[in-house]
Amino acid sequence: MNNQSPVSPPGSAGEGKQAPVRNSDYYVNGVLASDRLVLSKTITLMESSLPEHQEMALDVVEQLLPHTGKAIRLGITGVPGGGKSTFIETLGMMLVQQGRRVAVIAVDPSSKISGGSIMGDKTRMQFLSAQENAFVRPAATGQTLGGVARKTRESMLICEAAGFDVVIVETVGVGQLETTVASMVDFFLVLMIPGAGDELQGIKRGILELADAIVINKADGDNLTKARLAQREYETALHLVNPRSPDWRPPVLTCSALEKTGIDEVWDVVLRHREKLGATGELEARRREQVFEWTWFLVDEGLREWFYKNAGTKTLLPAIKKKIGSGVITPTRAARELLETITGKE
Amino acid sequence: MVNHPREKEWEEKAKKELKERPLDSIVWETPEGIRVNPLYTAEDLKRIDHADTLPGLPPYVRGPMATMYAGRPWTIRQYAGFSTARESNEFYRKSLAAGQAGLSIAFDLPTHRGYDSDHPRVAGDVGKAGVAVDSIEDMKILFDQIPLDKMSVSMTMNGAVLPILGGYIVAAEEQGVSHELLTGTIQNDILKEYLTRNTYIYPPQPSMRIVSDIMAYCSKEMPRFNTVSISGYHMMEAGADTVLQTAFTLADGLEYVRAALRAGMDIDAFAPRLSFFFGVGMSFFMNIAMLRAARLLWHRLMSVFNPKNPRSSMLRTHCQTSGWSLTEQDPYNNIIRTTLECMSAVLGGTQSLHTNSFDEAVGLPTDFSAHIARNTQLIIQEESKVCHAIDPLGGSYYVEMLTKMIVDEAQKIIDEIEEMGGMTKAIESGMPKMRIEEAAARKQARIDQGIEAIIGVNRYATDDKVDFEVREVPDYIRNEQVERLAELRKKRDNREVERTLAELTRAAESGENLLEATLPAVRARATVGEISNALEVVFGRFVATTLCISGVYASEYRDTTVIESLRKRAAQFMETKGRRPRILLTKMGQDGHDRGVKVVATAFADLGFDVDISPMFQTPEEAARMAVENDVHLVGVSSLAAGHKILVPDLMRRLSENGGEEIMVIVGGVIPPRDYQFLYDAGVAGIFGPGTSIIESANKVLNILENRH
Repeated sequence: MNNQSPVSPPGSAGEGKQAPVRNSDYYVNGVLASDRLVLSKTITLMESSLPEHQEMALDVVEQLLPHTGKAIRLGITGVPGGGKSTFIETLGMMLVQQGRRVAVIAVDPSSKISGGSIMGDKTRMQFLSAQENAFVRPAATGQTLGGVARKTRESMLICEAAGFDVVIVETVGVGQLETTVASMVDFFLVLMIPGAGDELQGIKRGILELADAIVINKADGDNLTKARLAQREYETALHLVNPRSPDWRPPVLTCSALEKTGIDEVWDVVLRHREKLGATGELEARRREQVFEWTWFLVDEGLREWFYKNAGTKTLLPAIKKKIGSGVITPTRAARELLETITGKE
Repeated sequence: MVNHPREKEWEEKAKKELKERPLDSIVWETPEGIRVNPLYTAEDLKRIDHADTLPGLPPYVRGPMATMYAGRPWTIRQYAGFSTARESNEFYRKSLAAGQAGLSIAFDLPTHRGYDSDHPRVAGDVGKAGVAVDSIEDMKILFDQIPLDKMSVSMTMNGAVLPILGGYIVAAEEQGVSHELLTGTIQNDILKEYLTRNTYIYPPQPSMRIVSDIMAYCSKEMPRFNTVSISGYHMMEAGADTVLQTAFTLADGLEYVRAALRAGMDIDAFAPRLSFFFGVGMSFFMNIAMLRAARLLWHRLMSVFNPKNPRSSMLRTHCQTSGWSLTEQDPYNNIIRTTLECMSAVLGGTQSLHTNSFDEAVGLPTDFSAHIARNTQLIIQEESKVCHAIDPLGGSYYVEMLTKMIVDEAQKIIDEIEEMGGMTKAIESGMPKMRIEEAAARKQARIDQGIEAIIGVNRYATDDKVDFEVREVPDYIRNEQVERLAELRKKRDNREVERTLAELTRAAESGENLLEATLPAVRARATVGEISNALEVVFGRFVATTLCISGVYASEYRDTTVIESLRKRAAQFMETKGRRPRILLTKMGQDGHDRGVKVVATAFADLGFDVDISPMFQTPEEAARMAVENDVHLVGVSSLAAGHKILVPDLMRRLSENGGEEIMVIVGGVIPPRDYQFLYDAGVAGIFGPGTSIIESANKVLNILENRH
């Protein structure tokens, strides 16, 4: 797969100096050498929406695949304002001080209206970002779930290949993205803050089902009692959902990222989970299952893309839209007619 | 619309004059969201409780003094400071000779943030936006030949307030002046630093302790000295309208009062020494009404504490004209703007005033521009005869109504803050900062559309360039300060320095009065940085979290085609390049004024860019690393504090060293025109001065990105 022709790197503007044309060796060798610059360029390549970049990205990931799989993959999600970035800053710093290499992919939502985004998470990981043994990359979701899922997963693999032994994926706890992230990590951590008795509002039950642990952050100062209260409520709530694993009952912990308390306990839980499920072989099985899930996800995405690109669909779509809008046909009928443009009448 | 027996007749005439336009079209919806009628009457006045009151008497809406300027005009107090203590001292003495009545000292950013001039993080900031003060030795030079028992001295200092106020006290001691003779003001308003200006050092709680320790010490030792100057100015400059400025400033004030009461002080021991500092902008009548409303509200808020001394609930304020309202384009217009704002402050009844120099949108004031700014006040004070009148707008139907509306609206916000548990809690929640940033983004959108007029910028723009001199602080200033520091450290008794610093650290742990514990260290010649460090080991250094609003700019921008065309360009860029244009916005150095960077960030995201924001106070090295790791197309540097000639070339060098030579750099903010070529030569791809519309800059950025590819 090494014979692919070099392409211009994605979106580099080049200040008078034209950006050099790069081939897959540049990316693969750079990542394996843990070169920060190449690592960042490779993630950009993964993010690109141009077909020639995606082709090259596929090639690069395939070459790097044998070098992946050794890291602890940690997904962190939670409500906006829950202190995720501060939590990761504190946890990440602790891990770096233990001699680990930590990569963080911080996913921020793109605006559905403008398409743009503001990526400010890294500003809250100021100390971690400055560490030699850390790499923090903010990424915008973009417009499609498929897009963000693909680039997040591939970026995670790239970081593993670059020798990071903990890879953290951070997402905002809204929408479908969490489910997707949960299906690419070893440990899925849901971060909450103590509220006033309305703990379970604003979080989807579905996310609780996926959690390997719930951590109540901001358990400090006036909040301490409220945090304990929230802890008990979540414990009760977790009893009502089916555990993902027969050998693991997700614990509910409290911590204060600001005061740096309770963080090592959280990490102990991650390690215990790893040890326990590693021994039973479940961790291995989970990763294998994730690969299958991932494949079917891609098939779904491909079908969808193929459907919308189909000439028949494209021509029919405006008329159908009009008909549904004016109530002439039912959505069921409309969907059937659209699908028939690719399947043919049965 | 009009409250009057002959309302119908008036309306008929009005409708005729307006021709097709409905009567409603002359109702003004202010940026505060208040609907203001163009005309009020004696009928309206009847419903206003405060209308029939007297100046010098509660609720002080008509002024804190009975005779106001008829008795004694306001104090002309020009804020200044730059370069070394020696140069600033010369400038002060010249200004005093030319009719200025009090001193107001601007310190440089490293001093504010508690760094000595030789600290590696401050290379671009020494002596730039104020005077560099590293120790008592600099302080003594600063006040050389200025008798501190006679001169009232105002010092804008919040972060490193202990070593600086301590330095002033010890400088007086060494002049032979005893503590109780000292008059003046220390800003010491830390809460607003977390909202807008970001020149804090420690987290809020220990910072609040420093504030109340200073109040406690001064109430005993320096009874004529104002211990806190509760400041709304920076909020206005950050985008707050008159209602937000009034509400947040008074809510800050309440918080200080409570802190002092909690520390066991009697209300009348400190409240008379609280002073205020308001910013006065271009909206003429609104700003007059704001000052009147603030006095009324403060009296109302303070009454709850049952003070015995009437001065405890009397709001006395310093004012400054708006620096943000000044433009780089057609700059002599700024003299006229400042004159109008000056009149607003005077008619609103300020106790002292600073008028800005016309060149402050491009650089530091020169002797010439400072002279004009000072004379603006002198002419109003001595030629215009306004001083003969006491509250001349008292009873004006219009101004009294505006006053009432601001009182009512501000009270609502204050109530909201009280419900949250006070200003410290509100600040923790991010609410006030978000409101201010939202107001700033909306204002920018109105200006970019020409709805809010700025002559010479979005209306009647001229191509004629005006050339004038700009003061430049040479970079060798830093070397001078560094040498002086090295010499000081050699000459002083270092054992005594260490002993007093250890004592200070111990006081920080034990809860003793920190100002009292600072003085021995200052006397022993410990530096500003060393004293700040001695406290930092106990308190820690505060790191702000950056939050950013979104969607506000686009929603205020009514012409959706403009927005859409930019979004389309950004989307096209993605189609050809594989990803959206990605820009890192950064502020390097110690300047914490982040309004510009925040407004650009939120607006660019609204226009379809992927925007990275850097943390505050970056070094060029850190910014370069972030740009490379995030793999952005472009770095946008916001520079307001004259550090650009050092910081920007350094950034470009670091980018190259890190393999980011493809990443382009643009610069926005206060850049003197003659530095443009220097920056272009250094490789900068674009420069955006104050007054550039966001739409224009976004288009230019896209041009740059597309052309260079």
